[in-house]
Amino acid sequence: MKKSHWATLLVFFVLIPLTLYLGTRLSGRSYYITGTLIILELMVPFFMAFEGRKPQARELVVVAVLSAIAIAGRVAIPIPHFKAAFAIIMLAGIAFGPETGFIVGAITAFASNFFYGQGAFTPWQMMGYGAGGMLAGFLFRRGWLPRNRWVMAAFGFAAVIVWVGPLLDCSHIFLTLGSTDWVGALGYLISGFWVNLVQGVCTMLVMLLFGIPLLEKLDRIKMKYGMMEDENGL
Amino acid sequence: MTNDPFSKCHPTVNFLYFLGVIGCGVLIQHPAYLAAGVLCGGLYYLLLNGRGGWRRILGLLPLFVLLAAINPLFNTQGQRILFRIFGRPYTLEALLYGGAIGAMFVSMMLWFGCYDRVLTGDKFTSLFGNLIPAISLLLVMVFRLVPHFIRKTRQIVGARRSIGKGVGEAASGADKLKHGLVVLGALTSWALEGSVVTGDSMRARGYGSARRSSFMIYRMTWADYALLAAMMGLLGLVIGFAAGGSAAAQFTPSLKIAPVSGFRALGLGAYWAYLLIPTVLYVKEAIQWHISRLKI
Repeated sequence: MKKSHWATLLVFFVLIPLTLYLGTRLSGRSYYITGTLIILELMVPFFMAFEGRKPQARELVVVAVLSAIAIAGRVAIPIPHFKAAFAIIMLAGIAFGPETGFIVGAITAFASNFFYGQGAFTPWQMMGYGAGGMLAGFLFRRGWLPRNRWVMAAFGFAAVIVWVGPLLDCSHIFLTLGSTDWVGALGYLISGFWVNLVQGVCTMLVMLLFGIPLLEKLDRIKMKYGMMEDENGL
Repeated sequence: MTNDPFSKCHPTVNFLYFLGVIGCGVLIQHPAYLAAGVLCGGLYYLLLNGRGGWRRILGLLPLFVLLAAINPLFNTQGQRILFRIFGRPYTLEALLYGGAIGAMFVSMMLWFGCYDRVLTGDKFTSLFGNLIPAISLLLVMVFRLVPHFIRKTRQIVGARRSIGKGVGEAASGADKLKHGLVVLGALTSWALEGSVVTGDSMRARGYGSARRSSFMIYRMTWADYALLAAMMGLLGLVIGFAAGGSAAAQFTPSLKIAPVSGFRALGLGAYWAYLLIPTVLYVKEAIQWHISRLKI
């Protein structure tokens, strides 16, 4: 078995139960600490798998370029609060597969916070973006969803509304809400809904107008230089 | 760059310090500890950012008030009812709890602000370069590419404007979006072509042929070890006292806050000392500098 497989087993059967057990014994804001630790632990196997397969130079550079475009993209579009980052991450997942999608997402979230400020939400954002890119890779690469601009737009919108947005809201809820009171949590989710809606619409528009052109560019690069095709799924 | 002596310490020291600050800051909700977190965080933030730091600190004030005022709306537990809103009781205990949450949030914002200034990207990657070589390299490349792409984006926008295809401030949202996506597309094509060249050049120069060695620009000096030992000692004291119940605080349904007196004040003192480490180093260096200037 590979190292990363051992790590996965270790995380799921030892570390996460242990964290949950210790988390219930802590007083104070233990929900936030427990949640953040579990998220970090969940990301470890992914990063170990990436390190373990010794990515080639071309793959590394393409991942770095996609992340940097997702971060720098907000300069290109002269509309305030318009973020194309998550759409670009999902398109990277669709073009290069789930593993690359996860790495591009997690790295984008982490690196962009070096420019715009780290916060207590950083690990949650890494998980949200990474898992979003991975899911897009799974669904579109395996052919479960067609590469149609409307389908991609709908998927992008849904991914923000039901996954990335609520996950970020959860980090705020756990950090700022004293008790796990359902009414309070619901209030936060509703107040965060409008921000998520704006994000979702941005993602949808980018997927709709830019999705197919970007995928064509990525596919063309892959074909032109014969990249990332020797590995299964990649 | 600032003249902050703590920023010049070994990244390991910086990283572990902030880990301790943020861990304690999120877990301990005793008012005296929270006040220490906010005051020390604010002080260090001001030292790092100069006069410009006041703006962010003043900007955090409404956030604190908002978080404090909102909590009783959700959390209706408590004994002393101030008034009723939408038929739900608005209690003093919940308001105080909201204040504690607000203070915790503000102190986190301040300390993360300090973290951003101290533990810059180069320090992070040099710290984890051996543990996660591929991901550290990725981060380094992203840090370099982002400013590079922003410059290129401006060039593309300028070139389009000079052939009459720019959009002004007054253009509609749809036009701006279309224009932006065209620019983004041009940037992507150009960047991907460049990435292949970079990748091949890396390969030609031997990337991946052997284990990557890493050059460590920072060295642990005896001062770093001494600081690390002092940090661990103080943090151990804080955790020990907190585990013993000295930092316990419960707000709802009834107010139960551990008194800070006598022997228990030692825990709070250790927490203050821990949080003041960077400030003390800063002041010490400023005084030394002043004295040596007087000697000239």
